[in-house]
Amino acid sequence: MADRVILTIGTKKGVFVADAAKPRRNFALRGPFGPGVPVYSTLVDTRGTPRIYASSCNPFFGMKILRSTDMGKTFKETKSAPAFPKDDGRALANIWSLEPGAGKKDLWCGVEPASLFRSPDGGDSWEMVPGISNHEHARKWSPGNGGLCMHTIVRDGNRVHLGISTGGHYLSEDGGETFTASNKGVGAGFAPDPYPEFGQCVHKIARHDDAPGRLYMQNHGGWAEWTGPGGPRPGIGVLRSDDYGRSWRSIASGLPSDFGFPIVVHPHDADTVYVVPLEPQTRSCPGAAPAVWRSENGGGSWNRIARGLPKKESYFTVLRDALDIDQLKSPALYMGTTTGQLWIGREGGEKWECLFDSLPPINNVKVAVV
Amino acid sequence: MAHWSDNVLLQPPGHGDKLTRTVGSAPTITMHLPGPLRPYCAGASELSISAPTVRAALEDLERTQPALYCNVCDETGKVRRHLNVFVNADNVRDLEGIDTMLKPGDVLTVLPAVSGG
Repeated sequence: MADRVILTIGTKKGVFVADAAKPRRNFALRGPFGPGVPVYSTLVDTRGTPRIYASSCNPFFGMKILRSTDMGKTFKETKSAPAFPKDDGRALANIWSLEPGAGKKDLWCGVEPASLFRSPDGGDSWEMVPGISNHEHARKWSPGNGGLCMHTIVRDGNRVHLGISTGGHYLSEDGGETFTASNKGVGAGFAPDPYPEFGQCVHKIARHDDAPGRLYMQNHGGWAEWTGPGGPRPGIGVLRSDDYGRSWRSIASGLPSDFGFPIVVHPHDADTVYVVPLEPQTRSCPGAAPAVWRSENGGGSWNRIARGLPKKESYFTVLRDALDIDQLKSPALYMGTTTGQLWIGREGGEKWECLFDSLPPINNVKVAVV
Repeated sequence: MAHWSDNVLLQPPGHGDKLTRTVGSAPTITMHLPGPLRPYCAGASELSISAPTVRAALEDLERTQPALYCNVCDETGKVRRHLNVFVNADNVRDLEGIDTMLKPGDVLTVLPAVSGG
Protein backbone atom coordinates (compact mmCIF):
# COMPACT_ATOMS: atom_id res chain seq x y z
CA MET A 1 0.00 0.00 0.00
CA ALA A 2 1.26 3.48 -0.80
CA ASP A 3 2.18 5.60 2.20
CA ARG A 4 -0.76 7.46 3.62
CA VAL A 5 -0.89 10.26 6.12
CA ILE A 6 -3.33 9.45 8.92
CA LEU A 7 -4.68 12.13 11.22
CA THR A 8 -6.63 11.40 14.37
CA ILE A 9 -8.65 14.29 15.70
CA GLY A 10 -10.00 13.99 19.24
CA THR A 11 -12.86 16.41 19.77
CA LYS A 12 -15.53 17.34 22.26
CA LYS A 13 -17.96 15.16 20.31
CA GLY A 14 -15.97 12.06 19.38
CA VAL A 15 -12.92 11.12 17.36
CA PHE A 16 -12.50 11.81 13.65
CA VAL A 17 -9.97 10.23 11.30
CA ALA A 18 -8.68 11.93 8.17
CA ASP A 19 -6.30 10.45 5.65
CA ALA A 20 -4.55 11.50 2.49
CA ALA A 21 -1.98 10.21 0.05
CA LYS A 22 1.58 11.40 0.69
CA PRO A 23 1.32 14.72 -1.19
CA ARG A 24 -1.35 15.63 1.41
CA ARG A 25 -3.49 17.46 -1.16
CA ASN A 26 -6.90 16.12 -0.12
CA PHE A 27 -7.80 14.68 3.25
CA ALA A 28 -10.89 12.50 3.52
CA LEU A 29 -12.68 12.77 6.86
CA ARG A 30 -14.45 9.92 8.68
CA GLY A 31 -16.36 9.99 11.95
CA PRO A 32 -17.25 10.93 14.53
CA PHE A 33 -16.60 7.64 16.27
CA GLY A 34 -17.78 7.41 19.86
CA PRO A 35 -20.15 10.21 18.82
CA GLY A 36 -21.02 12.86 21.35
CA VAL A 37 -18.34 11.80 23.82
CA PRO A 38 -15.19 13.88 24.45
CA VAL A 39 -11.87 12.41 23.29
CA TYR A 40 -8.74 13.78 24.95
CA SER A 41 -6.16 11.33 23.68
CA THR A 42 -5.47 9.43 20.49
CA LEU A 43 -2.63 7.28 19.27
CA VAL A 44 -1.75 5.97 15.81
CA ASP A 45 0.28 2.91 16.76
CA THR A 46 2.49 2.00 13.82
CA ARG A 47 4.14 -1.04 15.42
CA GLY A 48 3.20 -4.10 13.38
CA THR A 49 -0.27 -3.89 11.92
CA PRO A 50 -1.24 -0.26 12.48
CA ARG A 51 -3.88 0.40 15.10
CA ILE A 52 -5.60 3.55 16.22
CA TYR A 53 -6.56 4.14 19.83
CA ALA A 54 -8.76 6.85 21.30
CA SER A 55 -9.89 7.61 24.81
CA SER A 56 -13.64 8.05 25.00
CA CYS A 57 -14.26 10.06 28.14
CA ASN A 58 -17.93 9.73 28.89
CA PRO A 59 -18.97 11.96 31.79
CA PHE A 60 -22.08 9.84 32.34
CA PHE A 61 -20.99 6.25 31.88
CA GLY A 62 -17.25 6.38 32.51
CA MET A 63 -14.06 6.00 30.53
CA LYS A 64 -13.53 3.70 27.56
CA ILE A 65 -10.66 2.96 25.20
CA LEU A 66 -11.63 2.69 21.54
CA ARG A 67 -9.48 0.69 19.13
CA SER A 68 -9.49 0.49 15.35
CA THR A 69 -7.67 -2.21 13.41
CA ASP A 70 -8.76 -0.97 9.98
CA MET A 71 -7.13 2.46 9.98
CA GLY A 72 -10.07 4.29 11.41
CA LYS A 73 -12.92 2.89 9.37
CA THR A 74 -14.47 1.31 12.47
CA PHE A 75 -13.76 1.43 16.21
CA LYS A 76 -14.63 -0.97 19.02
CA GLU A 77 -14.21 -0.68 22.75
CA THR A 78 -11.33 -2.67 24.18
CA LYS A 79 -12.25 -5.33 26.73
CA SER A 80 -11.51 -3.00 29.61
CA ALA A 81 -10.36 0.50 30.46
CA PRO A 82 -7.92 1.57 33.17
CA ALA A 83 -9.49 1.43 36.61
CA PHE A 84 -8.12 1.99 40.09
CA PRO A 85 -8.04 -0.98 42.45
CA LYS A 86 -11.30 -1.21 44.34
CA ASP A 87 -9.77 -0.34 47.71
CA ASP A 88 -7.74 2.59 46.35
CA GLY A 89 -10.42 5.20 46.91
CA ARG A 90 -9.77 7.04 43.64
CA ALA A 91 -12.04 6.83 40.60
CA LEU A 92 -10.99 7.43 37.02
CA ALA A 93 -12.17 10.85 35.83
CA ASN A 94 -10.47 11.15 32.45
CA ILE A 95 -7.91 9.60 30.11
CA TRP A 96 -5.30 12.11 28.98
CA SER A 97 -2.53 10.22 27.22
CA LEU A 98 -1.94 7.02 25.29
CA GLU A 99 1.58 6.06 24.26
CA PRO A 100 3.24 2.90 22.93
CA GLY A 101 5.31 0.90 25.40
CA ALA A 102 8.35 -1.29 24.82
CA GLY A 103 6.61 -4.49 23.79
CA LYS A 104 4.69 -4.86 20.56
CA LYS A 105 1.31 -4.56 22.26
CA ASP A 106 2.35 -2.60 25.34
CA LEU A 107 0.45 0.61 25.92
CA TRP A 108 0.92 3.30 28.55
CA CYS A 109 -1.93 5.48 29.65
CA GLY A 110 -1.95 8.65 31.76
CA VAL A 111 -5.18 9.49 33.52
CA GLU A 112 -6.99 11.87 35.84
CA PRO A 113 -6.56 11.83 38.81
CA ALA A 114 -2.90 11.79 37.84
CA SER A 115 -1.83 8.16 37.62
CA LEU A 116 -0.21 5.83 35.14
CA PHE A 117 -1.52 2.53 33.77
CA ARG A 118 0.04 -0.08 31.49
CA SER A 119 -1.54 -2.62 29.19
CA PRO A 120 0.37 -5.67 27.89
CA ASP A 121 -2.25 -6.60 25.30
CA GLY A 122 -3.19 -3.57 23.25
CA GLY A 123 -5.65 -2.14 25.73
CA ASP A 124 -7.69 -5.19 26.72
CA SER A 125 -6.35 -5.31 30.28
CA TRP A 126 -4.69 -2.67 32.44
CA GLU A 127 -2.59 -2.46 35.58
CA MET A 128 -1.85 0.62 37.62
CA VAL A 129 1.85 1.59 37.82
CA PRO A 130 2.39 2.04 41.55
CA GLY A 131 5.79 3.78 41.32
CA ILE A 132 4.10 7.01 40.27
CA SER A 133 0.41 6.40 41.00
CA ASN A 134 1.20 5.72 44.66
CA HIS A 135 4.20 8.05 44.82
CA GLU A 136 4.54 9.81 48.17
CA HIS A 137 3.69 13.08 46.39
CA ALA A 138 0.60 11.75 44.60
CA ARG A 139 -1.93 12.74 47.24
CA LYS A 140 -0.36 16.21 47.47
CA TRP A 141 -0.76 17.11 43.80
CA SER A 142 -3.68 19.40 43.06
CA PRO A 143 -5.79 19.91 39.96
CA GLY A 144 -5.30 22.72 37.48
CA ASN A 145 -8.07 24.10 35.31
CA GLY A 146 -8.11 20.91 33.24
CA GLY A 147 -8.20 18.62 36.27
CA LEU A 148 -5.36 16.71 37.91
CA CYS A 149 -4.06 15.08 34.79
CA MET A 150 -1.10 13.01 33.68
CA HIS A 151 -1.01 14.25 30.13
CA THR A 152 2.50 13.50 28.93
CA ILE A 153 4.43 10.23 28.74
CA VAL A 154 7.80 10.44 27.00
CA ARG A 155 9.75 7.19 26.80
CA ASP A 156 13.48 7.07 26.07
CA GLY A 157 14.76 3.55 26.64
CA ASN A 158 14.65 2.94 30.36
CA ARG A 159 13.96 6.60 31.03
CA VAL A 160 10.37 7.69 31.34
CA HIS A 161 9.37 11.34 31.63
CA LEU A 162 5.92 12.20 32.90
CA GLY A 163 4.18 15.56 32.77
CA ILE A 164 1.53 16.21 35.40
CA SER A 165 -0.68 19.23 35.79
CA THR A 166 -0.27 20.19 38.50
CA GLY A 167 2.41 17.90 39.77
CA GLY A 168 5.41 18.76 37.61
CA HIS A 169 7.94 16.59 35.78
CA TYR A 170 8.75 13.14 37.11
CA LEU A 171 11.62 11.01 35.85
CA SER A 172 12.13 7.27 36.00
CA GLU A 173 15.45 5.73 35.06
CA ASP A 174 14.42 2.14 35.68
CA GLY A 175 11.73 1.67 33.07
CA GLY A 176 8.90 3.05 35.17
CA GLU A 177 9.43 1.18 38.43
CA THR A 178 10.36 4.25 40.47
CA PHE A 179 10.01 7.97 39.82
CA THR A 180 11.65 11.12 41.14
CA ALA A 181 10.33 14.67 40.97
CA SER A 182 12.77 16.40 38.63
CA ASN A 183 11.89 20.08 38.48
CA LYS A 184 15.08 22.03 39.12
CA GLY A 185 14.57 25.26 37.22
CA VAL A 186 10.89 24.63 36.51
CA GLY A 187 9.01 27.59 37.95
CA ALA A 188 5.55 27.79 39.44
CA GLY A 189 3.64 31.05 39.35
CA PHE A 190 0.77 30.09 41.56
CA ALA A 191 2.68 29.40 44.77
CA PRO A 192 4.77 31.63 47.02
CA ASP A 193 7.84 29.46 46.39
CA PRO A 194 8.76 30.10 42.75
CA TYR A 195 10.74 26.86 42.43
CA PRO A 196 9.10 24.14 44.55
CA GLU A 197 10.27 20.52 44.52
CA PHE A 198 7.03 19.49 42.79
CA GLY A 199 3.59 20.86 42.02
CA GLN A 200 4.42 22.77 38.83
CA CYS A 201 1.82 23.04 36.10
CA VAL A 202 3.70 21.38 33.25
CA HIS A 203 1.79 21.64 29.99
CA LYS A 204 3.79 19.45 27.59
CA ILE A 205 7.24 17.87 27.15
CA ALA A 206 8.95 16.84 23.89
CA ARG A 207 12.26 15.26 22.85
CA HIS A 208 14.13 14.02 19.78
CA ASP A 209 16.14 10.81 19.36
CA ASP A 210 19.05 12.72 17.78
CA ALA A 211 19.62 14.84 20.89
CA PRO A 212 20.04 12.47 23.83
CA GLY A 213 19.42 14.17 27.11
CA ARG A 214 17.71 17.20 25.61
CA LEU A 215 14.09 17.90 26.42
CA TYR A 216 11.81 20.83 25.68
CA MET A 217 8.98 21.84 28.01
CA GLN A 218 5.99 24.14 27.73
CA ASN A 219 5.27 25.05 31.32
CA HIS A 220 2.55 27.30 32.74
CA GLY A 221 4.04 30.73 32.13
CA GLY A 222 2.62 34.21 32.23
CA TRP A 223 4.04 35.28 35.60
CA ALA A 224 6.49 37.98 34.59
CA GLU A 225 4.36 40.71 36.17
CA TRP A 226 3.77 39.01 39.51
CA THR A 227 4.70 41.25 42.43
CA GLY A 228 3.59 39.11 45.35
CA PRO A 229 5.63 36.75 47.55
CA GLY A 230 8.51 35.21 45.68
CA GLY A 231 8.62 38.03 43.13
CA PRO A 232 8.20 38.01 39.34
CA ARG A 233 8.91 34.84 37.39
CA PRO A 234 9.68 35.85 33.82
CA GLY A 235 10.31 33.20 31.22
CA ILE A 236 9.33 30.15 33.24
CA GLY A 237 6.93 29.00 30.54
CA VAL A 238 9.26 27.66 27.84
CA LEU A 239 12.18 25.57 29.05
CA ARG A 240 14.93 23.26 27.92
CA SER A 241 16.92 20.53 29.67
CA ASP A 242 20.23 19.15 28.50
CA ASP A 243 20.70 16.58 31.25
CA TYR A 244 17.77 14.21 30.76
CA GLY A 245 15.39 16.44 32.65
CA ARG A 246 17.35 16.79 35.86
CA SER A 247 17.57 20.56 35.45
CA TRP A 248 15.87 23.08 33.19
CA ARG A 249 16.56 26.60 31.89
CA SER A 250 14.38 29.18 30.18
CA ILE A 251 14.42 29.50 26.40
CA ALA A 252 11.47 31.92 26.33
CA SER A 253 13.43 35.02 25.36
CA GLY A 254 12.10 36.41 22.07
CA LEU A 255 8.61 34.97 22.39
CA PRO A 256 5.63 37.32 22.71
CA SER A 257 4.33 35.28 25.64
CA ASP A 258 5.75 32.34 27.58
CA PHE A 259 2.26 30.94 28.14
CA GLY A 260 1.01 28.18 25.87
CA PHE A 261 0.14 24.52 25.77
CA PRO A 262 1.80 22.41 23.04
CA ILE A 263 5.48 22.05 22.20
CA VAL A 264 6.63 20.00 19.21
CA VAL A 265 10.05 19.08 17.79
CA HIS A 266 10.82 18.85 14.07
CA PRO A 267 11.13 15.18 13.05
CA HIS A 268 14.51 15.64 11.29
CA ASP A 269 16.13 18.43 13.29
CA ALA A 270 16.39 18.33 17.07
CA ASP A 271 17.20 22.06 17.12
CA THR A 272 13.89 23.04 15.52
CA VAL A 273 11.05 23.38 17.97
CA TYR A 274 7.55 24.87 17.72
CA VAL A 275 5.27 26.54 20.29
CA VAL A 276 2.00 28.46 20.13
CA PRO A 277 2.30 31.46 22.49
CA LEU A 278 -0.97 32.55 24.06
CA GLU A 279 -2.01 35.46 26.19
CA PRO A 280 -2.46 34.01 29.66
CA GLN A 281 -5.74 35.82 30.31
CA THR A 282 -7.62 35.04 27.10
CA ARG A 283 -5.64 31.93 26.15
CA SER A 284 -5.68 33.15 22.58
CA CYS A 285 -2.77 34.33 20.44
CA PRO A 286 -1.41 37.84 21.12
CA GLY A 287 -3.39 40.51 19.28
CA ALA A 288 -5.99 37.85 18.35
CA ALA A 289 -3.67 37.05 15.41
CA PRO A 290 -2.83 33.34 15.51
CA ALA A 291 0.76 32.30 14.95
CA VAL A 292 3.09 29.42 15.57
CA TRP A 293 6.58 30.37 16.68
CA ARG A 294 9.60 28.38 15.57
CA SER A 295 13.13 28.21 16.87
CA GLU A 296 15.79 26.66 14.64
CA ASN A 297 18.54 26.85 17.23
CA GLY A 298 17.14 24.96 20.17
CA GLY A 299 15.35 27.91 21.69
CA GLY A 300 18.12 30.50 21.22
CA SER A 301 15.85 32.69 19.12
CA TRP A 302 12.32 32.50 17.73
CA ASN A 303 10.51 33.42 14.53
CA ARG A 304 6.80 33.96 13.96
CA ILE A 305 5.31 31.79 11.22
CA ALA A 306 1.74 32.67 10.34
CA ARG A 307 1.38 32.84 6.54
CA GLY A 308 -2.19 31.78 5.75
CA LEU A 309 -3.46 31.99 9.32
CA PRO A 310 -6.08 34.62 10.22
CA LYS A 311 -4.56 38.06 10.77
CA LYS A 312 -7.08 39.31 13.33
CA GLU A 313 -10.18 38.63 15.43
CA SER A 314 -9.32 35.02 16.23
CA TYR A 315 -9.70 33.98 19.83
CA PHE A 316 -9.24 30.23 19.75
CA THR A 317 -6.96 28.24 22.00
CA VAL A 318 -4.62 25.50 20.82
CA LEU A 319 -4.65 22.86 23.54
CA ARG A 320 -1.67 20.79 24.73
CA ASP A 321 -2.19 17.85 22.36
CA ALA A 322 -3.60 19.79 19.44
CA LEU A 323 -0.32 20.37 17.58
CA ASP A 324 1.65 17.63 15.82
CA ILE A 325 4.04 17.23 12.91
CA ASP A 326 4.35 14.42 10.39
CA GLN A 327 7.50 12.49 9.49
CA LEU A 328 7.71 13.24 5.76
CA LYS A 329 10.82 14.79 4.19
CA SER A 330 9.23 18.22 4.15
CA PRO A 331 7.03 17.79 7.20
CA ALA A 332 3.71 19.46 7.78
CA LEU A 333 2.37 20.68 11.11
CA TYR A 334 -1.24 20.03 12.08
CA MET A 335 -2.98 22.37 14.49
CA GLY A 336 -6.47 21.92 15.95
CA THR A 337 -8.35 24.75 17.61
CA THR A 338 -10.99 25.04 20.27
CA THR A 339 -13.21 26.59 17.59
CA GLY A 340 -13.10 23.39 15.56
CA GLN A 341 -10.66 24.27 12.82
CA LEU A 342 -7.92 21.92 11.69
CA TRP A 343 -4.99 23.71 10.06
CA ILE A 344 -2.10 22.22 8.09
CA GLY A 345 1.21 24.09 8.09
CA ARG A 346 3.02 22.88 4.99
CA GLU A 347 6.83 23.05 4.61
CA GLY A 348 7.42 22.95 8.31
CA GLY A 349 4.82 25.59 9.03
CA GLU A 350 5.72 28.05 6.26
CA LYS A 351 2.29 27.93 4.60
CA TRP A 352 -0.92 27.42 6.55
CA GLU A 353 -4.19 26.21 5.13
CA CYS A 354 -7.45 25.22 6.84
CA LEU A 355 -8.29 21.57 6.15
CA PHE A 356 -11.59 21.46 8.07
CA ASP A 357 -13.28 24.54 9.46
CA SER A 358 -16.33 23.38 11.39
CA LEU A 359 -15.40 20.41 13.52
CA PRO A 360 -16.33 20.27 17.20
CA PRO A 361 -13.81 21.88 19.59
CA ILE A 362 -10.53 20.00 19.11
CA ASN A 363 -8.65 18.54 22.07
CA ASN A 364 -6.14 16.39 20.30
CA VAL A 365 -4.43 15.94 16.92
CA LYS A 366 -2.00 13.13 16.11
CA VAL A 367 -0.42 12.24 12.80
CA ALA A 368 1.40 9.23 11.43
CA VAL A 369 2.57 8.06 8.04
CA VAL A 370 1.62 4.43 7.47
CA MET B 1 -37.98 -13.19 26.97
CA ALA B 2 -34.59 -14.46 28.05
CA HIS B 3 -34.52 -16.00 31.49
CA TRP B 4 -31.71 -16.09 34.03
CA SER B 5 -31.76 -18.43 36.98
CA ASP B 6 -28.95 -18.49 39.55
CA ASN B 7 -26.75 -16.72 37.03
CA VAL B 8 -27.41 -19.29 34.31
CA LEU B 9 -28.70 -17.86 31.07
CA LEU B 10 -31.44 -20.20 29.86
CA GLN B 11 -32.25 -18.36 26.68
CA PRO B 12 -30.15 -15.74 24.89
CA PRO B 13 -31.84 -12.35 24.85
CA GLY B 14 -32.81 -10.50 21.73
CA HIS B 15 -32.40 -6.77 21.34
CA GLY B 16 -34.74 -4.89 23.65
CA ASP B 17 -35.71 -8.00 25.61
CA LYS B 18 -36.01 -8.25 29.35
CA LEU B 19 -33.54 -10.32 31.36
CA THR B 20 -35.00 -12.05 34.39
CA ARG B 21 -33.11 -13.39 37.39
CA THR B 22 -34.60 -14.83 40.54
CA VAL B 23 -32.55 -14.99 43.73
CA GLY B 24 -33.96 -16.08 47.10
CA SER B 25 -37.07 -14.39 48.52
CA ALA B 26 -36.10 -10.73 48.07
CA PRO B 27 -38.64 -8.57 46.21
CA THR B 28 -38.41 -8.77 42.47
CA ILE B 29 -38.06 -5.39 40.81
CA THR B 30 -37.49 -4.23 37.26
CA MET B 31 -34.43 -2.18 36.34
CA HIS B 32 -35.05 -0.06 33.28
CA LEU B 33 -31.99 0.84 31.21
CA PRO B 34 -31.45 3.75 28.80
CA GLY B 35 -30.32 3.02 25.26
CA PRO B 36 -26.61 3.73 25.73
CA LEU B 37 -26.38 1.03 28.42
CA ARG B 38 -28.11 -1.74 26.51
CA PRO B 39 -25.03 -2.87 24.53
CA TYR B 40 -23.49 -3.84 27.88
CA CYS B 41 -26.29 -6.32 28.70
CA ALA B 42 -26.88 -8.04 25.39
CA GLY B 43 -29.34 -5.43 24.21
CA ALA B 44 -31.82 -5.86 27.05
CA SER B 45 -33.93 -2.81 27.89
CA GLU B 46 -34.95 -4.14 31.29
CA LEU B 47 -33.51 -6.45 33.91
CA SER B 48 -35.55 -8.28 36.49
CA ILE B 49 -33.66 -8.43 39.77
CA SER B 50 -34.52 -9.73 43.22
CA ALA B 51 -33.03 -7.39 45.80
CA PRO B 52 -34.21 -5.82 49.08
CA THR B 53 -32.44 -2.47 48.51
CA VAL B 54 -30.99 -0.39 45.70
CA ARG B 55 -27.55 -1.21 47.06
CA ALA B 56 -28.30 -4.94 46.83
CA ALA B 57 -29.58 -4.47 43.29
CA LEU B 58 -26.33 -2.76 42.31
CA GLU B 59 -24.31 -5.51 44.02
CA ASP B 60 -26.29 -8.06 42.06
CA LEU B 61 -25.51 -6.11 38.91
CA GLU B 62 -21.79 -6.15 39.77
CA ARG B 63 -21.87 -9.96 40.05
CA THR B 64 -24.03 -10.76 37.08
CA GLN B 65 -23.50 -7.88 34.63
CA PRO B 66 -20.00 -6.53 35.34
CA ALA B 67 -19.70 -4.65 32.04
CA LEU B 68 -23.00 -2.91 32.68
CA TYR B 69 -22.14 -2.26 36.33
CA CYS B 70 -18.94 -0.37 35.35
CA ASN B 71 -21.10 2.09 33.42
CA VAL B 72 -23.34 2.75 36.41
CA CYS B 73 -20.86 2.76 39.31
CA ASP B 74 -17.21 3.81 39.50
CA GLU B 75 -14.33 1.88 41.05
CA THR B 76 -15.24 3.09 44.54
CA GLY B 77 -18.73 1.64 44.24
CA LYS B 78 -20.45 5.02 43.99
CA VAL B 79 -23.12 5.65 41.40
CA ARG B 80 -21.43 7.77 38.72
CA ARG B 81 -21.67 11.47 39.40
CA HIS B 82 -23.77 12.38 36.38
CA LEU B 83 -26.24 9.51 36.64
CA ASN B 84 -29.49 9.54 38.54
CA VAL B 85 -31.18 6.47 39.98
CA PHE B 86 -34.92 6.53 40.47
CA VAL B 87 -37.18 4.15 42.37
CA ASN B 88 -40.46 4.54 40.54
CA ALA B 89 -40.74 8.35 40.20
CA ASP B 90 -38.42 9.31 43.05
CA ASN B 91 -34.73 10.05 42.82
CA VAL B 92 -32.98 7.92 45.46
CA ARG B 93 -31.14 11.10 46.43
CA ASP B 94 -34.47 12.26 47.91
CA LEU B 95 -35.11 8.92 49.61
CA GLU B 96 -32.48 6.93 51.50
CA GLY B 97 -29.85 6.96 48.77
CA ILE B 98 -28.77 3.53 47.66
CA ASP B 99 -30.02 2.14 50.98
CA THR B 100 -33.59 2.80 49.81
CA MET B 101 -35.73 -0.28 50.40
CA LEU B 102 -37.42 -1.95 47.45
CA LYS B 103 -40.90 -3.50 47.22
CA PRO B 104 -42.10 -6.14 44.79
CA GLY B 105 -42.91 -4.54 41.45
CA ASP B 106 -40.81 -1.41 41.97
CA VAL B 107 -39.17 0.03 38.88
CA LEU B 108 -35.55 1.10 39.19
CA THR B 109 -34.48 3.50 36.43
CA VAL B 110 -30.95 4.67 35.64
CA LEU B 111 -30.84 7.93 33.68
CA PRO B 112 -28.10 10.36 32.68
CA ALA B 113 -28.45 13.78 34.29
CA VAL B 114 -29.78 16.47 32.01
CA SER B 115 -27.05 18.19 30.04
CA GLY B 116 -26.61 20.59 27.19
CA GLY B 117 -23.95 22.15 25.01
